[in-house]
Amino acid sequence: MSEIDIALKVLDHQIVDCDGRRCGKVDDLAIEGGAGETARVTAILAGPGYWPERAGWIGRLARAIGGGRRVRVPWEDVAGIEAHVLLRRTARDLGLGRGDDRARPWVEWIPGAHRK
Amino acid sequence: MSKIFGVALGILAAIGGFVDIGDLVFNVAAGATFGYQLLWVLPIGVLGIIVYSEMCGRVAAVSKKAVFDAVRERVGFSAGLSTLIASEVVNLMTLAAEVGGIAISLQLLCGLPYRWLIALGVLGLGLVIWVTSFEWIERIFGYGGLCLLVFAVGAVKLSPAWGKAAHGFIPHVSQNNSLLYLYFVVGLLGAAMTPYEVYFYSSGGVEEEWTPKDLGLNRANAIIGYALGGSLSVALMVTGAALFLNKGISPEHLGTIALGAQVPLGEVGLLFALVGILFAVGGAAIDTTFAGAYNLAQFCGWEWGRYRSAAKAPRFVLSWMALLLLALVIVMTGVDAVVLTEYAVLFSVVALPLTYVPILLVANDVAYMGDHRNGKLANVLGVAYLVVIAAVALSAIPLMILTNVGQN
Repeated sequence: MSEIDIALKVLDHQIVDCDGRRCGKVDDLAIEGGAGETARVTAILAGPGYWPERAGWIGRLARAIGGGRRVRVPWEDVAGIEAHVLLRRTARDLGLGRGDDRARPWVEWIPGAHRK
Repeated sequence: MSKIFGVALGILAAIGGFVDIGDLVFNVAAGATFGYQLLWVLPIGVLGIIVYSEMCGRVAAVSKKAVFDAVRERVGFSAGLSTLIASEVVNLMTLAAEVGGIAISLQLLCGLPYRWLIALGVLGLGLVIWVTSFEWIERIFGYGGLCLLVFAVGAVKLSPAWGKAAHGFIPHVSQNNSLLYLYFVVGLLGAAMTPYEVYFYSSGGVEEEWTPKDLGLNRANAIIGYALGGSLSVALMVTGAALFLNKGISPEHLGTIALGAQVPLGEVGLLFALVGILFAVGGAAIDTTFAGAYNLAQFCGWEWGRYRSAAKAPRFVLSWMALLLLALVIVMTGVDAVVLTEYAVLFSVVALPLTYVPILLVANDVAYMGDHRNGKLANVLGVAYLVVIAAVALSAIPLMILTNVGQN
């Protein structure tokens, strides 16, 4: 199976960082290589900013609600592909999961927010 | 021994947790309108939810993917987003109907003003979700919902026409008012196979970190829990038939449904019925709240789960809070909970194929499921039910219009 086949298999899969944190979906892929060259995946792309390219007007509407953030994770930072796409680094390092970081103060003040 | 005890407790909770406001409304109304003639629909609906819940639980245990992970991976972003929007709309309608049901049962129990009780109900749901663990939510509402067994006792005491009831289990088409009859067929199937149940069930499986070792437990939960829970639906329809048929009474209020226990069993029966309805509808409201937040978080790839602290999954938490608030606003407009229930069930029927097709695809995918992919029986039943689901999905809206939402 070529690298491209593997990459296409991970499109729309869950991304999980090295601490086991869910931190986005594979919303698109960056593929390089011109005509006659071997195509190569250079990065996985995540964030609502990529949604309009996937789903037209409904994607644009979803981006307007979700914010236009785009994050590019170099393919070298992908540790493995199991049930989910596993990363070598933390979400924070790669700029992923920012929505949860921004939303946390809205929840943290409530007593019991840190209790499982 | 403790494992058997655990399974038994789980099954008890499943029986109490099976019935929601959709089942209460459609089963009693079907009995009141067509007597025992529609009993045959119930085993078909219950088998459908067993087939797809077992499949979802198996997918969760083997591939670690909940329904909306599978939906997005298998049908892609665009179709997945449409499915998400449809499911969230239906989910919110169902949640609002359940919240209305909570307020009505509280009002019948304590007599306070309806709008106060809507606010109290939503506040109570929020507190229970925030404070109580998953296990205790399941136990409290599941066991409380067992009070609905009073309808089974009541149904027997009403001395129904057993021969006619047995005949009702043979599928047939009514000669009288066949459009309304078909409307109830669609509604009963929709009420039994409500999609939020599979969203909740599969996400719970991922949360509890099921593995292939839990497949036996998954099968037992799905088959025994839903089958026994479905028997409550039979009791409700028999009650509707024995008590209301040919008396010109249409159970358009939850209080009328509770009469089904009061007439044969007196005030104690009424009390059990109202408490049972309160817990059954309350439990369904919590399942629906979670289902909506699960779906959104799974589609977007956010951190989610009741087994994480709220601070670890803040967007998931804000999602369920927002859903509860939206449900509060909808019910506060004064919309009738029973009417809302009928719309919620019928629209959920329309959204059913969007949910069940990706599940069937994933359950057959060797890459996801390996040796645990669907066998012949699961596939035959899965495809047969897709045909049934497609037929009811296509006919739901026309039947709703032609029968004026079951009023003709």
